[in-house]
Amino acid sequence: MTFVKRYLIPRLIQYVLVIWLGITVVFLIPRITPNDPVMRMIDQMQARGSTLEPGTMDAIIRDLTQMYGLEGSWLDQYWAFWGRLFRGDLGVSFFQFPTRVNKLIFTAMPWTLGLLLTTTAITWTLGNIIGGLAGYYSRKGWSRILDAVAMVVRPLPYYIFAFMLLLIFAYVVRWFPITGGASLGAIPTFTWAFIKDVLWHSALPAISLIVLGGAVTFQTMKLLVQNINAENFVQYAKLGGVKENRIVGKYVIRNALLPQITGLALGLGQIFSGALITEIVYGYPGLGMLLYRAIVNGDYNLIMGITIFSIFGITTAILIVDLTYPLFDPRVRYT
Amino acid sequence: MNETILRTEGLKTFYILDVFGTQKVVKAVNNINLDIRTNEVYGIAGESGCGKTTLLKALAAAIEPPLRLVDGYIFYYVDGKPVDVSTLSPEAKRKLRLDYIAYVPQGSMSALNPVIKLKETYRDFIESHVSGKTKEETVAMAEQHITELGLPPKILEAYPHQLSGGMRQRVTIALAALMKPAIIIADEPTTALDVVVQRGVVQLLMDIQKKLKNTIILVTHDMGVQANIADRVGIMYAGKIVEESTTEKIYGDPQHPYTKFLINSLPQFGDKSPRQSVPGSPPSLIDLPSGCAFHPRCPHAMGICAEQTPELITLDTDHKVACWLVGGQHGKTA
Ligand SMILES: Nc1ncnc2c1ncn2[C@@H]1O[C@H](COP(=O)(O)OP(=O)(O)O)[C@@H](O)[C@H]1O
Ligand code: SF4
Ligand SMILES: [Mg+2]
Repeated sequence: MTFVKRYLIPRLIQYVLVIWLGITVVFLIPRITPNDPVMRMIDQMQARGSTLEPGTMDAIIRDLTQMYGLEGSWLDQYWAFWGRLFRGDLGVSFFQFPTRVNKLIFTAMPWTLGLLLTTTAITWTLGNIIGGLAGYYSRKGWSRILDAVAMVVRPLPYYIFAFMLLLIFAYVVRWFPITGGASLGAIPTFTWAFIKDVLWHSALPAISLIVLGGAVTFQTMKLLVQNINAENFVQYAKLGGVKENRIVGKYVIRNALLPQITGLALGLGQIFSGALITEIVYGYPGLGMLLYRAIVNGDYNLIMGITIFSIFGITTAILIVDLTYPLFDPRVRYT
Repeated sequence: MNETILRTEGLKTFYILDVFGTQKVVKAVNNINLDIRTNEVYGIAGESGCGKTTLLKALAAAIEPPLRLVDGYIFYYVDGKPVDVSTLSPEAKRKLRLDYIAYVPQGSMSALNPVIKLKETYRDFIESHVSGKTKEETVAMAEQHITELGLPPKILEAYPHQLSGGMRQRVTIALAALMKPAIIIADEPTTALDVVVQRGVVQLLMDIQKKLKNTIILVTHDMGVQANIADRVGIMYAGKIVEESTTEKIYGDPQHPYTKFLINSLPQFGDKSPRQSVPGSPPSLIDLPSGCAFHPRCPHAMGICAEQTPELITLDTDHKVACWLVGGQHGKTA
């Protein structure tokens, strides 16, 4: 099939190349910055007041250098780096020494995925349905009111909005907890009590993401629909007396959704970086929080580990968009 | 003469725009009386920007803001009885579309939904007007319809972008004929097509008309196309009909100076002298010249032309002109 030869294979090669390039950059950056992670670690130990004898210090430096894969020439390190990566080994964390980076990431990941996949899905669905209808019925009063609300909400900086919610609903009226992903000491199980606890803790972060993200999706979709609505094929269907529900769904929304599908996949790819501020504000134990602490503590292995995951996330999301888009838009079908 | 199928009375439709707080009024259709009959091809000609498309929108009952019906009436003769279109409910109007009146809009090369197959478009159009048919029956009906009009039925499996521009245009026109409407309105169906393809499109329109014995209202600024297929022609200038007659009289004995210019701009067989186009450019419909709107461009303009608007008066039974040169004093022959 020409699709495989002309499209799929080149696209997969590109995918692998981009990942290779991204990960190589991840490898290089800590090595070309003047900050020596091993010396930084030693400084931190000393700052905490531990006095080290010169002999012990040398031993620690040697151990750390080996553990972080900083032994030998860059080329040796590079080979070793890929070797470990293929074994799925991202090394140990500096600041939660000696926990493995993998373990930290896999503990944090479900929190982030759970919160962001759900909110992204809700935001996308609601934003597009409401925005689509508001665009189609843009002359109606309710459409104008929604538009005005979106116009007020949208320019709010996210962290201010998130803090406002926290202040009002967790501090003043105390409907929701101030911080955390679950109550302290709660044991993750598939019990209704635990699920309820998690939902209660994630309500504010979720609302903050849905409201601000939804305002953007709403406005984009409304504009898209208004543009499509003026297209010849919509006018022609109306003049041909095609029933309105068909026109709204099959002619207007379906065409307006095409760019939104791309937007959705790209949004999913950015889940890893997108979670940062939300998780910091709400003290939510996900990847964003982990990344934040990794940066604050100069934990190179952990930063690298999370970065590698997000490189995979983003490139895979883009690959999926590229491969599935032709299903939605026949004009770019590769035959 | 055939009976009336569509009539307008003092029709005025203006675009009312709000430009930075000030209201602008585009007088695109400005007091038009039409009496269109069954089984005729009525051509509307005039330069670009004179309000042809706007007139068609009004005739098709597709007046939507910023366009407003300012004054006058449009009557549809459904089963011989006049119906004032402005009294129809949206659902009643929807039912008349394609059944009574079909509209092929300007730029109809992009009139088909790009993300669905033509078969699906056909189904949407059919199922919105006929109920109680299975999917297979609907597709069979589409196939039969396409075949009868001499188009290849396999195009039903295609997406619009897989067809040539001329084929898309023809499918759009074919779709308009689907429910055998009493009136088909076509807006510049041949513009932007090359000559060979144009001929195919015109032929298709003519075939449909012969088969259905219905009315076609054809807008084009191409006077050559009009001459070939119209039974009667209305010449439009600045939102008004300035001359209307049978095609023979319009081309053989034009009265209005503007009509004469339009006809002179036609290439003539064996005539090598350069074609003259109408001097100057059409007026702004926001700020119309006083009196006869053509007077700034008219070689015969007189004093009265800038002061009073000439009425459309009847010369013979089927020849109407709005010009001070014709028919003597205003009102004398009216
Ligand atoms: N949607 C619109 N809003 C405002 N003005 C319009 C709109 N459509 C057309 N017009 C104006 O109305 C006038 C007549 O346009 P139109 O009916 O398209 O003329 P034609 O079809 O003869 O070229 C033009 O001056 C044009 O600028
Ligand atoms: S009324 Fe006057 S200006 Fe208008 S076309 Fe006739 S002669 Fe020319
Ligand atoms: Mg036009």
